Amino acid sequence: MQATHSNNSSPGRGVMTLYLVSGLIITALMLLVGLTMRAAQANWLPLPPDFFYALLTLHGAGMIVALAVCAMGALWFLIRRHIELSASLVVLAWVLIMLGVVGVIVATLVGRFGGLYTFLYPLPFDGSWPGWSTGVFLIGLVLVNVGWMIWCLQMLGAVLRAYGGLRGALAWDYVWHREEFQAAGRQPPPPEAFPALVAGFDGLIAGMDATLLGVSLLVRWLDPRVVINPLWAKNLTYFWAHTFANLIIYMLAALIYVGMAHATRRKYHTSTVLVIGWWSSMFFILANYSHHLYMDFVQPGFMQYFSELSSYLTAVPVTAVTVFSALMLVWRSRTRWTLGAIFLYAGLVGWVVGGIGAEIDASIPFNLHLHNTLWVPAHFHTYLLGGCLLFVMGWVFLLLESRSARETSGIMRGLVVALSFGGMVVFLLGFYFGGAYGVPRRYATEPAPGPFIAQFATVGAVIMLIGFTLAFVEGLRLRWNRAVDQPLWPGELKEAPHEG
Amino acid sequence: MDAAEKLLLMFFILAAVAMFVFVTVAWSTRLPEQEQAEVQHRGYAIRGRWFLGITLFLLAAFFATIPFFPYLAAAEALLPAEKVPVIAQQFVFIMPDHFPLNRRILFEVTSRDVNHGFGIYNPEGQLIAQTQAMPDYVNYLAVTFHQPGHYTVRCLEYCGVGHAIMQKDFTVEGASPTPAPMPMSQPSGTNTVPSSNASNPFE
Ligand SMILES: [Cu+2]
Repeated sequence: MQATHSNNSSPGRGVMTLYLVSGLIITALMLLVGLTMRAAQANWLPLPPDFFYALLTLHGAGMIVALAVCAMGALWFLIRRHIELSASLVVLAWVLIMLGVVGVIVATLVGRFGGLYTFLYPLPFDGSWPGWSTGVFLIGLVLVNVGWMIWCLQMLGAVLRAYGGLRGALAWDYVWHREEFQAAGRQPPPPEAFPALVAGFDGLIAGMDATLLGVSLLVRWLDPRVVINPLWAKNLTYFWAHTFANLIIYMLAALIYVGMAHATRRKYHTSTVLVIGWWSSMFFILANYSHHLYMDFVQPGFMQYFSELSSYLTAVPVTAVTVFSALMLVWRSRTRWTLGAIFLYAGLVGWVVGGIGAEIDASIPFNLHLHNTLWVPAHFHTYLLGGCLLFVMGWVFLLLESRSARETSGIMRGLVVALSFGGMVVFLLGFYFGGAYGVPRRYATEPAPGPFIAQFATVGAVIMLIGFTLAFVEGLRLRWNRAVDQPLWPGELKEAPHEG
Repeated sequence: MDAAEKLLLMFFILAAVAMFVFVTVAWSTRLPEQEQAEVQHRGYAIRGRWFLGITLFLLAAFFATIPFFPYLAAAEALLPAEKVPVIAQQFVFIMPDHFPLNRRILFEVTSRDVNHGFGIYNPEGQLIAQTQAMPDYVNYLAVTFHQPGHYTVRCLEYCGVGHAIMQKDFTVEGASPTPAPMPMSQPSGTNTVPSSNASNPFE
């Protein structure tokens, strides 16, 4: 393993920085949009409902895209350590996604489009907003989807080229013909190749679904005489939205494999259990979406049974592979609990706790009481905010810490941890309590006890954002105290290739 | 203990167990360092048991939940019921104001425009049953009201700017000498097989 000791950033690092910085800027803006909505639900901030729902649309679409962009950039960099990738292609994908984000911002803030990022047909065409904003919103999401599919194709192509086709990338022979495999001196793909394979493969399927849906809706937008089957549209919408949102955290698992190994000063290798775990995740990620349609009694019955079983079993590979391996890395290691290590580790807690909330909601008898209540944002905020965002922040801090001459003081670390996590817990509990007491989600004005709970949640969110702001300041200080002589981490295995 | 408290308790217990594991493992970094090979040797054994345990637990949970599914078997659909059409549209529910106590009601829920949700809240404000209201489709939801009082229907699928104010109040009244008239009720076509029911695992 030869690390590039060059202090000039390579194209790979440049791409990662571009994706991470843009993703985190959008995330920060969307956090403020979220805070605004919670304050409105607390009756502390008067917002007209059409503006509230435009903000809700922006927040949902913006957050999912922002976190996906962070995950895409980091994973792309990790794969490029093993095989050459075209930076111009991934920058093109970035440009398309950013154009899409601009479209979403214009459609919601200017056009007041409030059809939500789940835009269930026929709502986008039956709203209080002008027709052009529906079109701009749909075109924006189509652009995001094109950028996403370019990235997926590049990732899938990379792992297939690097590891000998689908059979090699899946580590098929490594699992089933271990002796011949080892006798031939072959190595299985590194752990981070599996998130790339699964994101590329499942992501392309979701992308094709989104293309079909997007084109159908755009045709309907151009010609109102076109009718679409609403159940068909609902299935396609949730298949795309669920798969895309779900893939983010699976992509970020790569950061655990590389980042936790670094923080704990241990090695993380591909094992048979890891490989089989990812095979099953590859399947479950695609199979689970139908749990969003439990309360659609016209949905074919077998899908309800199947998606409950599949939603349950999803927990097996996540806990038995990624989470368990991370715990084994940490157990009695020499971990230095820097902010980077803390955020990464805390993200695992968010993944598991959010997963528990999700499994309760994925149980049909409970779903009767929780479907479309605040329990839904409760669980997905736990693993998007308390999981995905913390993984990204942990990764960024590990990068900064690895090159900084400065060490974060104990007081600063304590403050960041106490404010960020303390505030986050209060904020998240608001959703869980609201959901359990039947407060519906997506209400500009909530029935009791919604507003009372939202007041606690708003205070929690403010405390959390103060913690995040301190973390940001600390991040800047780490960056300013960069030690030029430190080797870059993670080392790039190959020399920076010239652009082709 | 009501449904909300049971759900929260279940969530908190499971989350506390998870937190305990994470905190213990983080705390272990204060102990003298252990070789990774040694950790893996013991860890893989625990992982094997965890894998088996969690898989069996989840499979058992799956089979345990099946009796509480709200999807009606064909035989249940034939049970006598008062059929009540419900039409949702932006931003009202068109349906009766009164329902009899202890009689099986079969709501035939549909929508005239976009997707809506039909969620019934009991006099205590608990969400006791729901189904989606979709254009072009009818969802059948069977509910028997055992408690007299003031109920509220709320829209549980985002439907536009008036979503939060889309609600309908109705009352459930005790046995009266003459059966309460059901203005919206009508014999429905015999060829439609109701495909759903609502059962409450907390009752
Ligand atoms: Cu609604």
